[in-house]
Amino acid sequence: MFEFAWYNGRRRIKGAGALTVGLGLLTALYVYMFPTITSEVNLDEYAESWPPALREAFGVESLSTIEGFLATELYAFGWVILLGLYVAYSAASLVADDVEHGRMDMTLSLPVTRSRVLLETFASMLVPVFLVNLAMPLIVYVGVAGIDESIPVADLVMVHALSIPYLLAAAAVGLVASVTFDRADIAQRAAMGVVFGLFLVDSVTSGTDFSWLGALSPTRYYDPAEILVRSTWDLQGAALLLGVTAVLVLVSRELFRRKDIA
Amino acid sequence: MSAISVNGLTKEYGDVLANDAVSFDVEAGETFGYLGPNGAGKTTTIRTIMGFQSPTTGTATVLGADVRDEAALVEARENVGYLPSNPGFDETATGMEILDLHASVKGDARREELLELFEVPVDRKIRGYSTGQTQKLGLVQAFMHDPDLVVMDEPTAGLDPLVQQRFNEFVRDETASGTTVFLSSHVLSEVRRVCDRVGIIRDGRIVTVERVGDLLDRSGKFVRLGVAGEVAMDDVTLDGVHDLSARPVEGVAAGAPAGGGSTVAGTATELTFTFTGDLNALADFVAELDVLELDIEEAPLEEIFIRFYDDEQVSA
Repeated sequence: MFEFAWYNGRRRIKGAGALTVGLGLLTALYVYMFPTITSEVNLDEYAESWPPALREAFGVESLSTIEGFLATELYAFGWVILLGLYVAYSAASLVADDVEHGRMDMTLSLPVTRSRVLLETFASMLVPVFLVNLAMPLIVYVGVAGIDESIPVADLVMVHALSIPYLLAAAAVGLVASVTFDRADIAQRAAMGVVFGLFLVDSVTSGTDFSWLGALSPTRYYDPAEILVRSTWDLQGAALLLGVTAVLVLVSRELFRRKDIA
Repeated sequence: MSAISVNGLTKEYGDVLANDAVSFDVEAGETFGYLGPNGAGKTTTIRTIMGFQSPTTGTATVLGADVRDEAALVEARENVGYLPSNPGFDETATGMEILDLHASVKGDARREELLELFEVPVDRKIRGYSTGQTQKLGLVQAFMHDPDLVVMDEPTAGLDPLVQQRFNEFVRDETASGTTVFLSSHVLSEVRRVCDRVGIIRDGRIVTVERVGDLLDRSGKFVRLGVAGEVAMDDVTLDGVHDLSARPVEGVAAGAPAGGGSTVAGTATELTFTFTGDLNALADFVAELDVLELDIEEAPLEEIFIRFYDDEQVSA
């Protein structure tokens, strides 16, 4: 069992490592800049001048504390948008790229069910999701300590732990696109379009009569600012995201089982 | 039990009828060639019996498993080897990594032996493989778990002549040891060297299924006959002569050593025809003539093939 998960997972380690290093450098830069910026500008006054929708989009709570600064600059951007799009994009090629390049025939000629191929292939997405979320809290903690600031450890752990269901849901959106389209580039665009579109819906409708629409977006259920600034952990939201992930994976599996491999 | 049994298999892609009520059986232990030009529907049949796509109507069984029943087919595939046309492998992996992955799900009792035979650079990344090397890696993975049935789509494409020859010998040995082989090709001379029977498909429909020997008997012999003197086409009164042509040539003196020596100018005629009649009658006919040269060969399968595609040629 799990031969395909191991095989695909191993092949993701390098990319996930590079991603972690990149995000780590970005984090280091943010943390390093923080004392300089806050000594020169009152970021809260600056953020007050932002339109409410923009403040909502980037989860601006308080930019003058390290928690609020990281929540906005690193997590709202780096995690919710960048990483969300990255996993949706990667997952979108899981099936479609193999189909497009004739590798899926080779895989399915083996004595394995399509269900197993699909589930194990999706499981390989756990590698980047977990690697980034295991390494980054350490980098953030050490970095923050390095500028003589501090950040509550429990909140820091939770902002990463609760991002896992969010990222898995984004990956599951990519998986649905991957079994729907036979060309990887179309699946990738579709997946990123959906994830980014839902993020926009959530942020644009926030505070309006249409805010209920944002409930469709995974971003509604993972709010780094809430966690870091107010220590509010939306465990129900995380459970919901895991449920949605499971449903989307099962839908993908059903589509894949009925699919004519082109 | 048939190794493969295709029953009224029809596959439509939108408006295109790629397979139209295709039926044939591949018996256990035989080597079956599936012939047709590009686009005739060979790959459609193969991909349907492998379970990559479901039939529109009709069905097929592989080692007794219905292709519409995934659980049964997965079990059967433990004893099936498969080589697609242009096999696709993860280009970032080495050949060895691919073989390890395949081995972990289906076994690799014969891996070493096959790697010695086909010489694949398994330590290199597949990105750097030539077409032939990729094809050889495909062959190794198709046979390495010692399957009962091997399905191959255009297996010799991309192999150089020497490797093709090694492949043909290998397939004959495999068949001798009881493996059933089903392979497709559009190159008839390839198929006749290894196959017991052939099925010919054209425009998605099976045209004929017969033994290679029968097909050759039916197609007859190609005869080239050089005789002294003038012979008119009407003088050839033999039954079973087709496509006769007669042309005057520089005569070679009777009794001169074949293929050389001094030539004597004189009247001679070269007759060429395809002969499907009794060989004794041909011998009697030849005995009456002053024979300068005589070649009797099996009619090239390409010619038979063209006959099956006559309509297409006319419409083209």
